Amino acid sequence: MKYGKLMWAPLGIVLAGILVLICKKHVMGVQRAAELLQGVDWSFLPWLAAVALLSVFLQYLLVRRQADPLLLPIALTLASIGSVEIGRLKASLFMPQLRWLCVALVVMIFVLRFWRSLQQLLDYPYLLGMACVIILGLPMLFGTEIGGSKNWLVLGPMSVQPSEFGKIIILFFLAAYLSDHQQVLTAAKSRLLVLRLAPLRFIAPLICIWGLAVLMFVVEKDLGSALLFFGIAVLMTYMATGNKSYVFLALSFFGIAAIISYMLFGHVRVRVAIWLNPWSDPNGMAYQVVQSLFAFGTGGVWGTGFGFGHPGFIPEVHTDFIYAAIAEEWGLIGALMVLLCYVLFFWRGVRIALKCRDSRAALLAAGCASLMLLQAFIIVAGVTKFLPLTGITLPFVSYGGSSLVSCFILLGILAALSERRRSRA
Amino acid sequence: MPDWQLKKHILQAAMCLLVVVAVLGAYVIWLMTWESDTLAQNPLNMRRSAAQADILRGSIFDAQGRALAQNRPDGSRSYPMGAAFAPVTGYIGEEIGSAGIEAHANRDLLGLTDDVSHLGPAAQLFQSARGDDVYLTIEGDAQQAAYDGLSGHRGAVVVLDADTGAVLAMASTPAYDPNNIEKQWPKLSKEGDGPLLNRAVQGLYPPGSTIKPLIADAALREGATDTSEVFDCTGVLDVGGGQTIRESHGEVHGKVNLQKALSESCNVTFGTLGMRLGGKKLQSAFERFGFDKDIGGEIVMTKSHLPDFANLGQGDLAQSAIGQSSLLVTPMHMALLAAAFANEGTIMKPYLVQRVVTPGGITVRETMPEKWLKDVTSTSQARLLDTYMEDVVKSGTGKAAAVSGVRVTGKTGTAENAQGKDHAWFIGSAQLPGRKIAFAIIVENSGGGGSVAAPIARKIILSLAG
Repeated sequence: MKYGKLMWAPLGIVLAGILVLICKKHVMGVQRAAELLQGVDWSFLPWLAAVALLSVFLQYLLVRRQADPLLLPIALTLASIGSVEIGRLKASLFMPQLRWLCVALVVMIFVLRFWRSLQQLLDYPYLLGMACVIILGLPMLFGTEIGGSKNWLVLGPMSVQPSEFGKIIILFFLAAYLSDHQQVLTAAKSRLLVLRLAPLRFIAPLICIWGLAVLMFVVEKDLGSALLFFGIAVLMTYMATGNKSYVFLALSFFGIAAIISYMLFGHVRVRVAIWLNPWSDPNGMAYQVVQSLFAFGTGGVWGTGFGFGHPGFIPEVHTDFIYAAIAEEWGLIGALMVLLCYVLFFWRGVRIALKCRDSRAALLAAGCASLMLLQAFIIVAGVTKFLPLTGITLPFVSYGGSSLVSCFILLGILAALSERRRSRA
Repeated sequence: MPDWQLKKHILQAAMCLLVVVAVLGAYVIWLMTWESDTLAQNPLNMRRSAAQADILRGSIFDAQGRALAQNRPDGSRSYPMGAAFAPVTGYIGEEIGSAGIEAHANRDLLGLTDDVSHLGPAAQLFQSARGDDVYLTIEGDAQQAAYDGLSGHRGAVVVLDADTGAVLAMASTPAYDPNNIEKQWPKLSKEGDGPLLNRAVQGLYPPGSTIKPLIADAALREGATDTSEVFDCTGVLDVGGGQTIRESHGEVHGKVNLQKALSESCNVTFGTLGMRLGGKKLQSAFERFGFDKDIGGEIVMTKSHLPDFANLGQGDLAQSAIGQSSLLVTPMHMALLAAAFANEGTIMKPYLVQRVVTPGGITVRETMPEKWLKDVTSTSQARLLDTYMEDVVKSGTGKAAAVSGVRVTGKTGTAENAQGKDHAWFIGSAQLPGRKIAFAIIVENSGGGGSVAAPIARKIILSLAG
């Protein structure tokens, strides 16, 4: 199969990682290879095989449909780095992560299969907007606080992060709304000082989205998602209109909201204080960020070697802080490679957008690609203290079902948009 | 709006995002290169000590290959010989730090060679999962005999190989059990007796009469006396200013030459010699024998406290010459003094670590004997004083140290001190088959050196001769 070779990279990373973990665990007093394999919990194997089969099938499907053949290998490379690092950090979560990967791949197959119907959602922008408000509003009303953010819905045995799925709907909404009102928004006549804006009733939905993002931060203490929603809304508005006035308006809106929430809410002030000077309270509030910085410093250029670092000092290292663990053990080289994977993924996404004939499809593809890179940017910036820390997952890499499934849905959308038959239609 | 314009805007926004990501990338590079060392070495960063905790520490063995410290299966440290060897092995604990060989040979026990952390994962090639084993010069039997001999008292014993400087025993009581020391720590660190103090190298005591061989050597060297001069001991020495020095137990030695004065430990004779020598010559004698010097290496010895010789009155000069006044020394240093006479005027540098062996059996380091101080006295004079000290054991105050068939030399001491009963001292040497040992023994507040300390020397000699 053409492009099949690309699939060896993620498989190789997973197998090498598992080998290192097994060897390291039994390094002392082992004489024969047989002894080495004793006491290893092999229960992950069926799931690993399932992931391998599913991904080969998916890649075959994508190549046959003449979809972009690089997206899935890049995503799987990230996912394999993530799952072995999770296996190393919390061995008990290795199998669940593979299981979620399976689920995510199956969901992606469904997205590809039913894309024609899903695409029709773009015809109902206001419905999408309503759905978005409801989904994101749910945790504000019924949410449970997990890990400091009240952005979880507990449904029986499962806990779901609605924002992970809300972000997909927001993409649909923005793509649909912005392309429908492209002309009105672009050819805006009314002026507000130096700004060139469309009538208020056309901007109102956008302001709604921005306001929603701010609410998420203030009520759910979920700065990561808030930044992500806001950022993607601004980016897509600019993509659709090319009008810098909206960017300016959005930024001033966000700036004012930030200042007000800084003055009103304690947890906002704490976040900013930690960011400005984590060394004033390195064992208290800033413990996580300080430990994360130590991980980056200890890693250095080459890293300590997979399995030989001590990322366990960082709380929640397997979810939001997994990038710090990767940096410590894989070094600057590994950290930059991961970052590069996102850039590559983004670049393929932008390419897909540029090839789309339909402006809605183009906006949606560009939105998907940007969302992924923006999310990676926000969490990497957070754990390196480049920006204030925000709780958000590293796409494809962090542990978590909601995150993996939503990432693979985005991947599925991008892949579907890249299919040649479709773009000709 | 034309299609190409939308795509132009998409491209513009994409470029914006890429630039921001590139800035982040540059920041990550800065963080992991320029800032790397600062962060890695931050005292709050526990990773370095955690990495060391991952390494299985090597074992510590005595000269006969008996384990003094090793790992239990659960990774904790065990000390099979317990408290008797605590001054040698020391201890290690995450919260309490380390002491003894555990501290001084830490890098060997961890198998750390040089700092290879900058090599990244390749450093694992140079780092074995198990550290190196450390073989000591300690003779387990002598160490145990020394500890048993001190039992019930506070005190210290140092036994050296006079020819090489190898430390054969280093005991200190009261001792602590290094096993599970972290649990006992709060209690140990508060105990008034100072069980954590290694008296052999850190205890400072007035040497009493054991300093007399040094004074005799100085007097002969400086021409303050000769071997034939006869001193008349009336039991009391007038040092001027209404002060006197008396013999212990009111003894009167009568007419004595230097040899007899040493074997009877005559205070009148040595007080006289001290006054004749004067501060300057006394000081140079103490400096010749290294009392103002450190040893270095794995033996961290407290420096002796010497009186301000330049400004001493006659009384203090006489007191210094019989090991009183403000003169304070360590047992280790008194053993080195004994070694000087046993080894013809040369003091070998004391050492504890004989060799360091990898888990694979390769010797990575072997200690070669080194001279610490050369020719502190002439060979002939060292031999002369050696025979004088032999006399102490044969017919003088040190008879309790005699072992039949072994040539033993010595000097007793009974040091007055502010804490109460006199400290009992005995220093000397013994010619054993194949090696000559030198030793110093102090038993705090226990009485006479000849009756309390000398018998311990005998036990140690027997343990090594047998």
